[in-house]
Amino acid sequence: MTTLTANRNRTRSTTLSPTAVSLSLLALLTIAGIWAGLGRLLLGLGATTALSDGYSWGIWIAFDFVLIAFAGAGFTMAAVTHVLHLDQFRPALRPAILAGLMGYSAVLLLLVLDLGRPDRFYNFMLYWNLHSPLFEISCCILLYSTVLVIESVPFLLERLGWSKWVYRFHRLAVPIAILGVTLSSLHQSTLGTLYLNMPHRLDALWYTPILPLLFFISSIMAGLSLAMIAYAVSARILGRETQPETLNGLARGAAWAALGYTLLKLGDLWWRDQFPALFSLDSMSQLLWLELGLGALLPALLLLIPAVRCRPAGRWLGVGLILCGILANRFNATMFAQTPPPGTPAYTPHLVEWLTTLGILAGMALAWYAGVRLLVIFEEKTERKLSS
Amino acid sequence: MTVQADGKLSRRDFLRTAGTGVSVITVASLLAEPVEANEAPATSPWGVLIDLTRCTGCESCVLACKESNNLANPEIVATSLDSDAYSCLETHSLGNGAVSYVKRQCMHCLHPACASACTVGALTKTAAGPVVYDSAKCIGCRYCQYACPFGVPAFEWENPLGLISKCQFCQTQLGQGQTPACAAACPNGALRFGRREELLAQAKAQIETNPGRYVDHIYGEYEAGGTSMLYLAGVPFVDLGFPELGSEPIPHQAETVMNQTPAIALTVASLASALAWFLQRRKKLALVPVETEESR
Repeated sequence: MTTLTANRNRTRSTTLSPTAVSLSLLALLTIAGIWAGLGRLLLGLGATTALSDGYSWGIWIAFDFVLIAFAGAGFTMAAVTHVLHLDQFRPALRPAILAGLMGYSAVLLLLVLDLGRPDRFYNFMLYWNLHSPLFEISCCILLYSTVLVIESVPFLLERLGWSKWVYRFHRLAVPIAILGVTLSSLHQSTLGTLYLNMPHRLDALWYTPILPLLFFISSIMAGLSLAMIAYAVSARILGRETQPETLNGLARGAAWAALGYTLLKLGDLWWRDQFPALFSLDSMSQLLWLELGLGALLPALLLLIPAVRCRPAGRWLGVGLILCGILANRFNATMFAQTPPPGTPAYTPHLVEWLTTLGILAGMALAWYAGVRLLVIFEEKTERKLSS
Repeated sequence: MTVQADGKLSRRDFLRTAGTGVSVITVASLLAEPVEANEAPATSPWGVLIDLTRCTGCESCVLACKESNNLANPEIVATSLDSDAYSCLETHSLGNGAVSYVKRQCMHCLHPACASACTVGALTKTAAGPVVYDSAKCIGCRYCQYACPFGVPAFEWENPLGLISKCQFCQTQLGQGQTPACAAACPNGALRFGRREELLAQAKAQIETNPGRYVDHIYGEYEAGGTSMLYLAGVPFVDLGFPELGSEPIPHQAETVMNQTPAIALTVASLASALAWFLQRRKKLALVPVETEESR
């Protein structure tokens, strides 16, 4: 409780700080997003989006796939701490779990906006199509969101001081983490399988039978990168120190994942005789170089150099590049590298699509901020309480 | 210390929990096994042979389609498929002033990607041939629009509770032994309804006896693994806007991966359980001698 009062005092003394300004901005965006979202639900997709039969997935779906990769922070950190038992990464676990929970909540909200029949979203539980990648993804997202809630409950219980329940949840930590890792491995890879049903639409530089594997590995590099940001930002919010070895190790993990991803992707392009297309430098090849060269290979090399990795500027540049690379990759696969049927009008997102997307992102950022402020996100206190 | 608290989870407890998870996944995988239900039907599925060289663009088929399916704007002949048009009539100029009309509708694939992709199984391939749509199941995710190589499923963009619409091969009429509305309406014999195998044989005979009239290609015989709708044309199909597709069914690759889902789940779950147990135990054992050594 002492921390809470201390935090409150700090907030009061810095009312017009950049924090207050950005929080107000986020709140405004959230309100605009709610308003736009209600408009979408009342007026329908035709009136509030630029989607068409040829481009029927827009920025909502693209951001969904980006957010699922970013929210991989939750399962990668659970794997690192509860499966691999690498204790030096433990301080970064909770901010990542909370970020994962917010990421998946945003995904669910975006899906509600995107579905033609949001009122029937539960139908996937009633009517199973085991062949459908989207069926598997829906099931896994639902179950994994539940896992994230279970993983986050102790943050509240510890704040409330209900030590008996804290202990009960603590006993669940490892099995729940294993369940979460399994569910995540499934749906992160199945997001790649999703595109295997589009050989006629997706450019050959992206379309490959190993898309599931590429999506899985890229979710690890995105997850570790986002976990670093969540850890550093939550430490800044709470006025805590970050452990250099934690950030360093995570950066190294993300770098190796990014390097592995790059090599696998290049090997696949070589194997499928796509190198001529890769070096043709037409628009498709440029898009791929942006996401792969600038968004995976460069940050991997940067972060593998200890001198770069250990300096904040170098570290955050590398991590930022990886996250931008994932963003580019998911947008390319969903939109830019796709050829719609002839006669499809160009897709320029409608204002409502932008407002709702930004609103949901802003709302989740606010919720995460509140979570960091109100819940027990840094564990040192808990451990003392548990051992005493 | 959290480590010690972690250590309180006894091996038996842990194995029990992990074991439950693994057995749940095993049972689920056993239940999930009989996925390959799409066996070839006893008789050849129904099909329509569309002879584009006989089509005069009279629009009878498209108008009959609208009427038979009670679609909006029954007097308008669509030039592209949309939620009010299960079928449409395209006009392709062939140069030298000549035009070719192309009636388009769902191809009723033998291995429909839309049905394989559909989240809720609202689209299904019936043994008789039609790929049918159950609007009561559909959640409007629109994955079918991406999976279909022919750009067929259309979405009701103007409906706040929008659904998909597509040609259903007049499945009700088919069930009553009747001809689909479009084929029944054609005055020029450009649409011939029948068993797919027989239509294919007839089409091949037609190409053989009229080599000048047709290009030597029955579109739909092999495209995307074969379709129930078959086309004959006097010019290459690519000039008429038909997509060039291989003979591999579109959903084949995704289904190959999807069928591995139980195996992947089982592998990841057991590997993670084994790793977690082993590493936790190693850490616990490592703690003991270190402590005793220090105390000495």
